[in-house]
Amino acid sequence: MFKKILIANRGEIAVRIIKACREMGISTVAVFSDADRLSLHVQIADEAIGIGPPPAADSYLDMDRIIQAAQKTGAEAIHPGYGFLSENSSFARRCEKEKIVFIGPNSDALELVGDKVRSRQTMEKADIPIIPGMKGIVKDTSAIKAEAQKIGYPVMIKASAGGGGKGMRVVFDEKDLTLAMEAGMREAKSAFGDESVYLEKYIEDPRHVEFQVLADNHGHVVHLFERECSIQRRHQKIVEETPSQALDPDLRARMGETARKVMQVSGYNNAGTVEFLLDKDKNFYFLEVNARLQVEHPVTELTTGTDLVHHQIKIAAGEKLPFKQEDLEQKGHAIECRIYAEDPHSNFLPSSGKILYFKEPQGPGIRHDCGIYSGWNVPIYYDPILAKLIVWAEDRESACQRMIKALDDYVILGVKTSIRFLRDLISHPQFRNGETTTSFIQDHFADWTGDKDSQERQMLALLAAAFDSLHGSTARKDIHGAKKEIYSPWLSLGKWRLGGK
Amino acid sequence: MEYEFLLNEVLQKVSIEKKEDTYVFSDGEKTYLADIHQISPFQISVLIEGVSFRIFTAKDKDSRYFMIDGQQFVVKEPTEQVEAFRKGEEITAEGTILVKAPMPGKVIKICVSKEDEVRKNQTLAIVEAMKMENEIKASVDGTIKEIHVSAGDLVDSEKPLIELEP
Repeated sequence: MFKKILIANRGEIAVRIIKACREMGISTVAVFSDADRLSLHVQIADEAIGIGPPPAADSYLDMDRIIQAAQKTGAEAIHPGYGFLSENSSFARRCEKEKIVFIGPNSDALELVGDKVRSRQTMEKADIPIIPGMKGIVKDTSAIKAEAQKIGYPVMIKASAGGGGKGMRVVFDEKDLTLAMEAGMREAKSAFGDESVYLEKYIEDPRHVEFQVLADNHGHVVHLFERECSIQRRHQKIVEETPSQALDPDLRARMGETARKVMQVSGYNNAGTVEFLLDKDKNFYFLEVNARLQVEHPVTELTTGTDLVHHQIKIAAGEKLPFKQEDLEQKGHAIECRIYAEDPHSNFLPSSGKILYFKEPQGPGIRHDCGIYSGWNVPIYYDPILAKLIVWAEDRESACQRMIKALDDYVILGVKTSIRFLRDLISHPQFRNGETTTSFIQDHFADWTGDKDSQERQMLALLAAAFDSLHGSTARKDIHGAKKEIYSPWLSLGKWRLGGK
Repeated sequence: MEYEFLLNEVLQKVSIEKKEDTYVFSDGEKTYLADIHQISPFQISVLIEGVSFRIFTAKDKDSRYFMIDGQQFVVKEPTEQVEAFRKGEEITAEGTILVKAPMPGKVIKICVSKEDEVRKNQTLAIVEAMKMENEIKASVDGTIKEIHVSAGDLVDSEKPLIELEP
């Protein structure tokens, strides 16, 4: 087993990984940009190395600096977390060359699954269902008609150079096809300077269902069931849960087997996630592999009784998986809410600034993965995720109730957060019924203001302000008495050092 | 005592009196008899007719924050400017509007030049914060009088980006 691991990340995920290392008796090295000197991950690590200025390109994405930090501290392995360098195959290759273990898949598998075209071809060859579509670009209208018929309506016209919805057209009927194709080509031409378009099957109101997979270096591959991540805003997941309401045991088993096969044909090792789109008729299509630990991994941990980060480290150290597929089962229901520093009242604009006070919810079945503390300044340079609130309960309804109460008890003052928005989302009747699709927020929360039933809370805020004014801002004078509470209990926890330094 | 507050940017008038051990509070619509205790600088306990409420609070140099059941309220002292203009703007003595960034970030692009005529909602600048680009738009039709920043500058929410004459 490793004696020392460098964590090439920041925020809640760096904290999560550092804690796992400490539990395993492994010494930790944090890295930080100038903007993160006072961040929580730096404080709880055994060693911390500055790796440059705040912009990620000059620090957390700088391979040379991170490799140097590992060499300088004698770290034998690097855990990349999620984002930053986690899915960068040249970084994995570089680690391999420098004889540092990259805690993630081997660089060949990482490169394969990161290449949309090649992985699609690989999956198609292995009979893994992919979204039906054309292999080539559209040239003339007669060819496209035949293709559309083969794929089956509705179809989507997509710009091959594209992205951002430009050149995209959904066609439900053959009579609209020619017109839509011409419009799509014009739009693609003006947006990308390339009028090439191709056809893909259009999946209406899909669910986003993904499977967690663990694969050791000895050819054993297991899946740890699904996560449903359909609740998204601007393609960003914000609520995840497991089990999915859309799967029955048979479908779950088939999708799980497919996920294992995806990893086997990719030559994949360590933890990874296979993403699928699930349509209304319960057809599922391979979307992509997320070749890293996922933000939403805790819901899987709570329902399967596993620690994915521990397993990642053990797999990277060459250990065999301690369980077989038939040993694994799902128990109860888990939901995760991502707590972002953003203002749901003004179009979810990121909100930075100082966290004046922070109190996390506690109680049975509540887990809180977090990278913040009272008195910390939220930097402007990185993803605005502050923390993740995860609950477990025996069934979905109890988990929803537990989540609502936990969000009620969650206090972050000073920066704006999505807490109240999440509370209203989990309380929504459609969510409670399990009717979650990728258009959920657009359909039900497009004009959310948060003012619903808020008169009482508003009155209480005014009452508290009036009380404070009447007493001449006693709290402001009491800053010295307050100081002890400003700092989080994290700081009073001792470090776990090898050999009892 | 009567007070005027800006609660989430909306002006509110309230009154509060201490009567023996309790407080008489009115928000203009209703009057409440409340037992209020400040437990710590960050926590207030309130009992109204036997119903218990927990309010968390904190303050910085110009705002007081209150959190109740996951919802945060920001209370500020009323000023004339805040009422009249959108967040992130300020009016000068000459009557021009100082356009500011809504949050600290980095200027990615200035989309206008001095003396340009702009229409309401036209994008004036793009500021990036936390990996997201945010378009700063004109709140009124007008003319660009001055540009105070250039692409690449780091700005906070105080620094004027652009001066706009309506």
